[in-house]
Amino acid sequence: MYGYRLGAIGIVTTFFAIIFSTVLMPMVLFNPKPTDSRNTYATIAEADPARGRQIYVREGCFYCHTQFNRLQDRGYGPLVKAGDYVYEAPHQLGTARTGPDLTNEGGRFPSEWQKAHLVEPRAVKPGSIMPSFSYLNERDMNDLVSYIQSLGNGRKSNAFVEAPDEYRTTTETGRKFIALKTVDTNADASANAGRGIYQQNCASCHGLDGMGEGPNAISLEKKPPNLTRPFYKQYSDEFWFYRITEGVPGTRMPRWGDGGSLTDARGGILTHEQRWYLVAYLKTLQKDHEVTVDKLDQLDPIHQTKLPVLSHQEYEPSTGD
Amino acid sequence: MASTLSGSFTDRLLSREEGSASRNFFLSALFWSILGMGAGLLGGIEFSNPDLVHNVAQLAFPHLRMFHVNAVAIGWLSMGYVGAIFHFVPSLCKNKLWSERLGNVTMWAWNLVMVGAFCLLLNGNTEGREYAELPAILDVMVMLALIMVAANVYMTVINRRVKKLYVTLWYFLGSLFWFPLVYIIGQRTFVSLPGLNDAIIGWFYGHNILGMWFTTVGVGMMYYLLPRLTGAPLYSHGLSMLGFWGIALFYAPTGTHHILQSPVPEWLKAIAIISSAFLLVPVLTVLTNFFMTMKGKWTMMVTDLPLRFAITSCMFYLVTCIQGPFQATRWINWYLHFTQWVVGHAHLALLGTFSFILTSAFYYSMPRLTGREWHSQGLIRAHYWLKFLGFLLMMTSLTIAGLVQSAGWAFGVPIDQWSLQIRPYWFFRAISGVMILLGQCIFAYNTYKTLYTPRMVPVEGAAKTKEVKV
Repeated sequence: MYGYRLGAIGIVTTFFAIIFSTVLMPMVLFNPKPTDSRNTYATIAEADPARGRQIYVREGCFYCHTQFNRLQDRGYGPLVKAGDYVYEAPHQLGTARTGPDLTNEGGRFPSEWQKAHLVEPRAVKPGSIMPSFSYLNERDMNDLVSYIQSLGNGRKSNAFVEAPDEYRTTTETGRKFIALKTVDTNADASANAGRGIYQQNCASCHGLDGMGEGPNAISLEKKPPNLTRPFYKQYSDEFWFYRITEGVPGTRMPRWGDGGSLTDARGGILTHEQRWYLVAYLKTLQKDHEVTVDKLDQLDPIHQTKLPVLSHQEYEPSTGD
Repeated sequence: MASTLSGSFTDRLLSREEGSASRNFFLSALFWSILGMGAGLLGGIEFSNPDLVHNVAQLAFPHLRMFHVNAVAIGWLSMGYVGAIFHFVPSLCKNKLWSERLGNVTMWAWNLVMVGAFCLLLNGNTEGREYAELPAILDVMVMLALIMVAANVYMTVINRRVKKLYVTLWYFLGSLFWFPLVYIIGQRTFVSLPGLNDAIIGWFYGHNILGMWFTTVGVGMMYYLLPRLTGAPLYSHGLSMLGFWGIALFYAPTGTHHILQSPVPEWLKAIAIISSAFLLVPVLTVLTNFFMTMKGKWTMMVTDLPLRFAITSCMFYLVTCIQGPFQATRWINWYLHFTQWVVGHAHLALLGTFSFILTSAFYYSMPRLTGREWHSQGLIRAHYWLKFLGFLLMMTSLTIAGLVQSAGWAFGVPIDQWSLQIRPYWFFRAISGVMILLGQCIFAYNTYKTLYTPRMVPVEGAAKTKEVKV
């Protein structure tokens, strides 16, 4: 009998040792402080996002939608931090992504769209398998939408993505590289020079106007971006140069700097000078206002169901989803 | 059965007859399995045909899924497990269950929990925690039921007539100590923890309802059933102890591997990954023991249908537990997480492994509990093939769907493009659900015919049923 008593003591000790290390220790040691990017649940005045969260829990949205994006997820906004979840109880991290990640869903679509999507998902997203939540009453629906619109609102990025260090004056290579720059990228003459280079090398995919509708784009899995979006006004000269030089991994955009180096202006498929002219031209493409759909009755459902249509709005890598 | 029909109302409701608690638990489990699998099937069909049910909150996919998970885990598997424990423990201790009446009280309490779960979960009254959805009142009732089961089993073991504790009893006693604690910690009913701590505890529970309950009781059942069904002695008692301690040591801390890519502390992830990898040790030990016990007896699977269920379960256990540790490593988790692959893995464990071993225990125990031979061996065979092939189809389609999704996430393909590619797999998954549910209905019909119709065949016919070929 002594052996069994030892066994029983062993089981109890082991189990409590494990509970101590994986349950109690994280509770004591892991106490993230609330970050600025946490959700404050205050977005739409007339609806209650905190109550919307209860609807989200009640309807079991987390079975198909996660609320944490990962390093490798593209197009789902800024990465989450531990402190973002301090006020999230019960947690809605989720385990499966049958639908998209909702970490930064707030503001991605107009509220009207979100509502229509909850009532009849396939009217606004053909091919979606999301269940219809038409049985929610008006108040529940509004609260739920306001909760969805609050997701990730605290997670603002205040610094635009910059070119790698070797393109900037923070490094020795960068200073040598900038010293080689002979082109005034803000001058009309440079842009004119760049226009010719663009039409010879880029227009076949990116289109004559830079809207991504070049004839080759039809055959591409990843469509070229619409360079006329105001978004691209944020690109610095060095970032444009970096993009042209190194291409876009995972797409057919080539590395135009292949065969050259940053510290030698002559190398590469396009020389430094040609690339700078190109930058000057690309900077002139952006329009002041982007044409977007922000009302439900502006949506054209028939147009939406034709999936392979070449539409610069729907296939931009940067918007993901 | 005759004795239950006479006697007072209390005696009929809370029978003191030997074996009645075990039998009633088995039958309740079967009932909830039909509802639970039905809910799963309807949910699966809604993946293929999302507009099938409109405007009925109770039949919306998320509500069906909550009920599906709880009905098969708390209803079918757990109730069946308790039924098996109530039958196996007295037989291993060579005495009677400490209190059949307490066992039947537990049975009614547990059924009440399930009725409550049916009414509440389908209406969305959930705590919003995966695998711990049951509302507070039901949590308390499950807890009470577990304590009653544990008291009953511990008292039975204390009053045993044999000195040695067979390894099955180690597993059962261990599980009945671990699981109530895991349940209390994991439900988080009366606490509100900060989000990520909630997730850590949530997955401690989410993985240990499997590791410290379904696995340990299921493996204990395998240890009991294989020697009983084949008549061969267990290959090694030393190995069985190694397996037991391995599971006891390495299973409990693995929970955090479910949230490897969330911002929880890295040291906790490391503990989870290392323990997950070490799980290969007890798993391979246990299975070596099983397969060596089966040495020279493999052909018995052809005629002995409970054994066939048990061996299938061992095989699926091997596959699950090879998948598990690899999925828990960072590099494979990076690719496979969030996809239907994981859903396939979960079904491999709960449906492929533990539902099969429970079915085996059911087919083995019911004749011994009631003194009636099975109504039809053919129906058992139909059940086996429907469940086995249905499950293979489900596993294959979910795994392929998971790989398509993984590629979609890894290569940044927009979700509304890859989601169109997995529609065929949703369809096959629904078909597999039909097969599995049909198998379960045949199972229920067979049980009904066995227990509740007067016997036409005299008892000597019972021996012949063993000789039926494939």
